[in-house]
Amino acid sequence: MEITLKNIKKSYNHKTVLNIPDFRFTKGKIYGIIGPNGAGKSTLLKTIARLEALSEGEILYNHQPFRKAILKDMTYLTQKPFLFAASVRENISYPLKFRQYKRDEINFLVERIISEFSIEHLANQLATKLSGGEAQRVALARALIFNPQILLLDEPTSNMDPNSIEIIEKIILKYNQNKDKMILFITHNVGQAKRVCDEVIYLENGIIVESGKAKTVIEAPKSENLRRFLALEYYVN
Amino acid sequence: MGYILEGISDAIKLLLSFDQEIYTIIALSMYVSFASTLISAFIGIPLGFILGLKDFKGKRIFARFLNTAMSLPPVVVGLVVTIFLARRGPLGQFRLLFTPAAMIIAQTLLVLPIIMGVIFNSSRDKGTEVEKMCLTLGANKLDTLLILVKEMRANILVAITSGFGRAISEVGAVMIVGGNIKNHTRVMTTFIAMNHSMGNYSTSIAMGLVLLGISFIVNAILYGRITGTGD
Repeated sequence: MEITLKNIKKSYNHKTVLNIPDFRFTKGKIYGIIGPNGAGKSTLLKTIARLEALSEGEILYNHQPFRKAILKDMTYLTQKPFLFAASVRENISYPLKFRQYKRDEINFLVERIISEFSIEHLANQLATKLSGGEAQRVALARALIFNPQILLLDEPTSNMDPNSIEIIEKIILKYNQNKDKMILFITHNVGQAKRVCDEVIYLENGIIVESGKAKTVIEAPKSENLRRFLALEYYVN
Repeated sequence: MGYILEGISDAIKLLLSFDQEIYTIIALSMYVSFASTLISAFIGIPLGFILGLKDFKGKRIFARFLNTAMSLPPVVVGLVVTIFLARRGPLGQFRLLFTPAAMIIAQTLLVLPIIMGVIFNSSRDKGTEVEKMCLTLGANKLDTLLILVKEMRANILVAITSGFGRAISEVGAVMIVGGNIKNHTRVMTTFIAMNHSMGNYSTSIAMGLVLLGISFIVNAILYGRITGTGD
């Protein structure tokens, strides 16, 4: 799977919040998307996930225009995950039910991912009563259970404690261990971007200011803006 | 204070008297209120969902009109329905004025905006979120619809109970279009208004307590469905 952005623009009330002339995401890589608030990071993921329409330009999926079938192979995890008013177990099973999996298969896969995420103690709880960090873990488990080829993660560990962050980072790395998935990962934690991502994109005012290998971009930034951003991030974190 | 206690005692006597007129009034009230709520729910729930979830030009203005319609004055609705159903009116040929059917029409016009408004406003906020989440999880349109109904079942039941509350307690419109005819279009609220104007306070209080009791039971049943406890 490959995603190509071709002259994409997104505007709200005549203000352009995203403006990317050309960029390509390739299979097998984890892309970290960093940048200040309002840089257009979430908008970028939402347009790829088809949750928001582009004002101009086109996004190609495997060199093809969007088809509905793409949605079966892609998922977007929101910053504040929305869980259905059902048990955690039932929430995790929904994507499999939507894909007509058999009951035995659903039970097996749900129990496996619950154990992998160490959320056995939450399995029977009402998902809407979970804390922010717990909800993020459950939402990620729900996102991964159907083995999507494209995973769009919007700050998936923002409400988690360090122990949970470690678990989630390991799960994300393991998910792409065969280099057969594409993960786009928004994070405010530069250290996390370095630990998890293969490549990093620095967005500012909707424009890609810098991109490249994670280590190179973070350790030897070329632009003054990125240097300032990294210095502040290191200071805060 | 004396006549309030007298009213309570009369309420019990009224129910135990097994007076056919009283039970006809109660039955007609229930019939008219349930029928108008049911018709409004069938129209208002799907329309509320569709319009709440869909983006269209003028949606904000539409929302304002709908919110205004939620508090339509019953007397005005009664008047409009009367004009339409009167012998010389556009629908006069159907001879519906002063019949339970006219009362159902008037109440439907009052209840429909309430049910549609509650669903419209809640689906605009929560419904859009549910719809987007379903999209990211690969749900098709039918799956999304089923999840939407499941997620918003509390909103649906709140809409229905609010609509039923409006219908059962309404007096102005049914008085105008029904005419409060004995054994034909007299309902609990018009019975109370009539007895009050005649100075029969204890009878009014008695029927008022019956009305309250019925509203309480219906709401308890419906809210029990929301919480799943029957509380």
